Amino acid sequence: MADELELLRSANPFTGDGPRYGDGPLDHRAERGLNRLLHERRSRRRRLLWSLAAATAVAATVLTLVLSGPSSTPAVAAPRALVVQAHSTPVSLKQLAALAAAVAVDGTPALRRGTHVQSWSLGMSDDKPPVTVPEERIVRWNADDSHTERDVENGHVLKDTTYPPSWSDVPPDARPPHDVAGLRAYLQETTYSKTPLTTPELLSAVGELLDHWTLGARESAALARLLAGADGLRPVGEVTDRLGRHGQAYVYRQSGSRLMLIMDPATGAVLGLETTFTKDQPEYGVKAGDVMDYSAWTR
Amino acid sequence: MSDDENFAAAYREHYWAVSRYVARRLDGRSSEVEEVVAEVFTVAWRRRADLPSTPLPWLYGVARNCLANAVRGYGRRRRLVDRLGNDDRAHGRQVVAGPDADAPGGWVHEALARLSPADQEVLRLTAWEELGVDEVAVVLGCGSRAAAMRLHRARRRLRAEIDRLMVLGGAGC
Repeated sequence: MADELELLRSANPFTGDGPRYGDGPLDHRAERGLNRLLHERRSRRRRLLWSLAAATAVAATVLTLVLSGPSSTPAVAAPRALVVQAHSTPVSLKQLAALAAAVAVDGTPALRRGTHVQSWSLGMSDDKPPVTVPEERIVRWNADDSHTERDVENGHVLKDTTYPPSWSDVPPDARPPHDVAGLRAYLQETTYSKTPLTTPELLSAVGELLDHWTLGARESAALARLLAGADGLRPVGEVTDRLGRHGQAYVYRQSGSRLMLIMDPATGAVLGLETTFTKDQPEYGVKAGDVMDYSAWTR
Repeated sequence: MSDDENFAAAYREHYWAVSRYVARRLDGRSSEVEEVVAEVFTVAWRRRADLPSTPLPWLYGVARNCLANAVRGYGRRRRLVDRLGNDDRAHGRQVVAGPDADAPGGWVHEALARLSPADQEVLRLTAWEELGVDEVAVVLGCGSRAAAMRLHRARRRLRAEIDRLMVLGGAGC
């Protein structure tokens, strides 16, 4: 029998020639991290808070600013969950996908790299009640593959930085395809999953995609078709989102929380995603109906 | 080379090795791995003047401290997410649960998990990070002789756990 170290070596979960974290050139995220360290010399003290939104969102770093002192309160009250308008007629995702396909015929608007997202996410720390942190993030890419990221949190500009040219062929940095099968594979790769995505995983991957890309009409149409095939995503009617836009809402219920997808009834584009607690969690200071995270994307 | 250049070279050369180090200790939970690795290099950047000529064991030592902090912070979050049952991390959808079913990965991991954290670390550093005793000593912040002794004892205890599992489960290899 092999000795114990040999056995342990053979059970190494991540090896240098493996598919994940294997040796090779830096990916986009790692390059960006290096650029940030070399070129950005900020001294602001930061503290690791966690944000539930980060479970699904992404680029979204879980580093949140320390609130300015023991007496400070969040500048913005925790927003309420979206309310479905009574007596509104739900539109099925199939209908919406058909509409999106019709709108996409002329190919405009076009896909654009970068994002404009406003998000509200519940942040927690060990010694304070949960707070809702509003953030606006705008990422714009230039013709020379450089890009600018601007983050505004609670009205304060946290970051306004231009990064040198960089590229990656790995989702979600890679250009998303506009066919359903291609997009499905792309989203699966985005979540590092080896198996087809469940509906919550799919919605999480959609959020990640939209945090990197502003979809064109064709990509939105493919995404609408993909979502139309997702299990358990039920149309519930019309909502007005936090940016005042009309949307059709689709809900997926799971243990302890509810996911709501908001789509534009005129174009079939995804407008937003909301996660709401459906059970009280007194130990964590959250109640049924509290919003765990919400993202609204605009062009 | 300047400190900045040394740092950039170490980052490029060892980014993936540090990522693997962290991933092995977080069961591959990808978003947490990325956060911790970013933290490791942020700390290393602040201390770049101390970067030794063989930086990898030193970086592992930084990673070890960052992980200890991160694990404390994640505990609360994970408890809530686990309770909600809506997070893939709670369901063990980690990319690698060990080697294939017919390889000994699963039960070797189980045997490893039965050891003390200190034993586990010295064994992982030797078998997975493939460090020599002197390098293990750098990561653990102890002398080489102490590291050799710890490894010797940890190997013996791992062997005992493996043997015990084989008796109980009839595992073959």
